[in-house]
Amino acid sequence: MTKIVRMVAEVVSDRCTGCALCVYVCPTAALELRDRVPGDAGRSRRVAVLSPAECYNAQNCLEICPDDAIVMHPLETPFRVGVDASTADKDAVRELCRAAGIGVKQLICMCAETTGEELAAAVLAGADSPEAVSLATGARTGCTELCHQPIVALVAAAGFGDRPPRVPRGFQSYGLAARATDLVSDDGTVDEALLEQYAHYPLASDLRALQGDFGEWRPEDE
Amino acid sequence: MSGLRSPLAPPPLQRTWSGREPGAVVARRAASLPGIVALPVRSIDPDLPEPIWSPDATWGPTDVDVVRAMTLDRLRATDWSRISPGSTVDLLANPHGFFLCGEAYVAVLEETQRFIGEQRQCTVRLRIAESMGHIENPDWMTLFDLPQRFGDARECPQMGRGVKVETRVGPFWLTRDLFTADHFVHTHVAEMREGYLHRMVDRLHKPFGMGYTRLETRSAYHFGWGPRTGQLVARAVFESDFVQQRYAGTIVLDTTPEGVIGVEAGGDLDELNGRITAGVLRHYGTFMRLLAEIEDVVAVFDGPGCHMYSYGGGVAFDCLMYAQVDFLDLDNLALLKGFASRLPETPGLTMEFNPAIKAQVMNYMAGGVPYTMMTRRLPTYLVQGPAAEWLINDPCSPWLGERAHIAPDLERAVVEACERSGTANVAIFDATPGALHVSEPLGRLLLDRAPAVREHVRTVSLPKWLAQRRLQ
Repeated sequence: MTKIVRMVAEVVSDRCTGCALCVYVCPTAALELRDRVPGDAGRSRRVAVLSPAECYNAQNCLEICPDDAIVMHPLETPFRVGVDASTADKDAVRELCRAAGIGVKQLICMCAETTGEELAAAVLAGADSPEAVSLATGARTGCTELCHQPIVALVAAAGFGDRPPRVPRGFQSYGLAARATDLVSDDGTVDEALLEQYAHYPLASDLRALQGDFGEWRPEDE
Repeated sequence: MSGLRSPLAPPPLQRTWSGREPGAVVARRAASLPGIVALPVRSIDPDLPEPIWSPDATWGPTDVDVVRAMTLDRLRATDWSRISPGSTVDLLANPHGFFLCGEAYVAVLEETQRFIGEQRQCTVRLRIAESMGHIENPDWMTLFDLPQRFGDARECPQMGRGVKVETRVGPFWLTRDLFTADHFVHTHVAEMREGYLHRMVDRLHKPFGMGYTRLETRSAYHFGWGPRTGQLVARAVFESDFVQQRYAGTIVLDTTPEGVIGVEAGGDLDELNGRITAGVLRHYGTFMRLLAEIEDVVAVFDGPGCHMYSYGGGVAFDCLMYAQVDFLDLDNLALLKGFASRLPETPGLTMEFNPAIKAQVMNYMAGGVPYTMMTRRLPTYLVQGPAAEWLINDPCSPWLGERAHIAPDLERAVVEACERSGTANVAIFDATPGALHVSEPLGRLLLDRAPAVREHVRTVSLPKWLAQRRLQ
C-alpha cells in the first residue's frame, strides 16, 4: 500500500531555539539546522528548516519540540508515497525477507499498511537506512514504532547495517534489538541454561512455532 | 446490585496535550442514544471486592484518603535502604495510571515522593513514560497540575534519546531520560490492558519491555517474540545489570473494573507480581470470558483512548477485540499477526480480531495508534465534524478518509452501522468505569450468559490459569 500524506509540519522560526531535537527524531530526516540569516526573527544562532516534500506527517517533531515551534497544517493536496513491489526481482525480495526473518506478504507497517515485500523492494532499490526506507515507502511515519525492528532487520540483512547514521547524533534508530530466533543455534537447539533460567516461559515450543512447527496445535483451535 | 440500569454520565472529554478540545466539538455522547443501558460489571460478577476508590461515586468513594493511608502503610513496610542520602530518584509514572486511576494515582505518586524523599533524604523527580498517542492524550500535566505538585516533573517520549542495555538474550534500548537518576521507583496500575500481549505472565514487568523503552525494544517485543514469550523481553531488561543497579522498588495500584481495591509495594517484583496476577485473573476473568459470548456487535468509540486502548466498563477494547481467543490460557498457541517467522512462506499462526465485531463507529477517539487492520475489513463510521477530521488526518490512519462513511450525526451513524451489520447489539467504549454501556438486547444477552460463564471461570478456567502461572 501507499501512505496518503495529509498534513505537513511548519517550523515557527521565531520560537525555534535550534536545539535540533526535531532533526534527531524525524523518521524521514526532513529537518536540518541552518545558520540564521539577518532579518530572522529568532534569537538562536541556528534554526530548524523543513524540506516539505519529505515531511510525511509523522509528527515526532511536534511531540519532541520543547518550545512549541512546530505546527501542523492540512495539505490542500494530499499526496501518496509507496513502492510497487511487483516491479522488483521476486527471488531477491523473497531471499531478503527470509534473511531478515519477515514474511513476504506480512503486514509490517500497520499505519501505512506496508508489506514485507514492499519494504524489501525499497531496500533492493537502494534504501540503505531506516530513514531512506521510510522516504521510499511511507512506512514508519505513523506511530513510528511498531515496524521499526523489521525495517532495521531488512537494512541489516542487505548489508547496510554498518552505514553511518543519516543524521549524525540523531536517534532515529540505534540498531537491531534482540530477537527470539537469535537464540536458536545453527543445529536448531536452544541453550539449556537459557531454557532453565526462563523456565516459566514456553520458550522452546514458541521458538518451534515461530519456525513453522506448531506441534499438535492448529489454527482452527482458536 | 443486579440487572441493567439507566446510563451513567461518561467522564467528560478533556483537552488534549496537542490543545484540542473534544468536549467542545462532540455534539452528543453515545450513552445518551435511545435504547442504551448500563450493564454493571458487579451484576455479572457479584463477588468483586469493594473499591477503596472509584472514578465514579456510583461504585465507591471518590476521595483518596484511604489510598493515601494505604500507600503510606505499604511504603513504611518496604526496605528503601539502597537509596543513599543525597542521591536522586526517578519516580516512573505512566499515562495509563492517570487515565484509569486519576487522583488516586496522583495521590500514590505524591505520597511516594514525599515519603522516600524524607526517609532517605534524597531528591525524587517525577518522570512520565510516554507512549504512542501521547500528543492526543488528555494533557495530564495540566489537568493534574503535576509541575506544581511535584516540582521536577517531565514527560519522556519513546522516540527520545535512548540508552543501550545488554541483557541475557541480547541488546535492547531504554528511554534514557527515565533512567538518569541514581535510582528509580517503578509504579504500575494492574488491569487487563494488552492481555493478548502480556498474557498475565510477568505482568508487572511489562513496562521494562514496553513503557520504559525506546522504539527498538517496543518493535522487537511485537515482531519476533511470542506468542507466549513476548514478556521475556521485559523480564530480560528488568534483570539486566543496568536496571538492577538502579532499581529501588515498586508501587502498584490493584484494581477491578470498578476502581482501586488496594495499594501494594515491595522490592521483590516477582513476589509482588504473583500476588497481583492472581487477583487480576480473579477480578477480570469473568468479564473477559463473557465478552466471548457476543456473536455480533457494533463497537462505538466515544472516549479519550485510541481504538484498542479505548475503555468501557473498566476494560480496554482490546479485550473484546481478541475475545474469540482465551489468551489467558497459556496452552493456546494463537499467534499475533505481527510475530514473525523465519520462513517467509509460512506466515505463522495469526490471531485475527474478533469476527463478532461487525462494524465500528467513531464518535470521538484519540489518534496515534494504528488500527487499520480493522478499517480494511469492517464498515467504519465517523460523525461529521472536527473530531472526524482529526482522525482522518492522523498519521496512523492515512486510509481512514478513503474507507470511512461520514454520517451527519451519531445516531444516524449507529443506526446505519447496525442496519448494515444486521445486529441490534451495540457496545460503547466511553471510559465509563464499572459498567459497560450497551444496547438493551446486548445487555440482556450478557446478563443471561453471565452465571454460566462465571461458573465455568470459577471451576475450570481460573484454576487452569493459576496453575499455568504456578499461582495458588
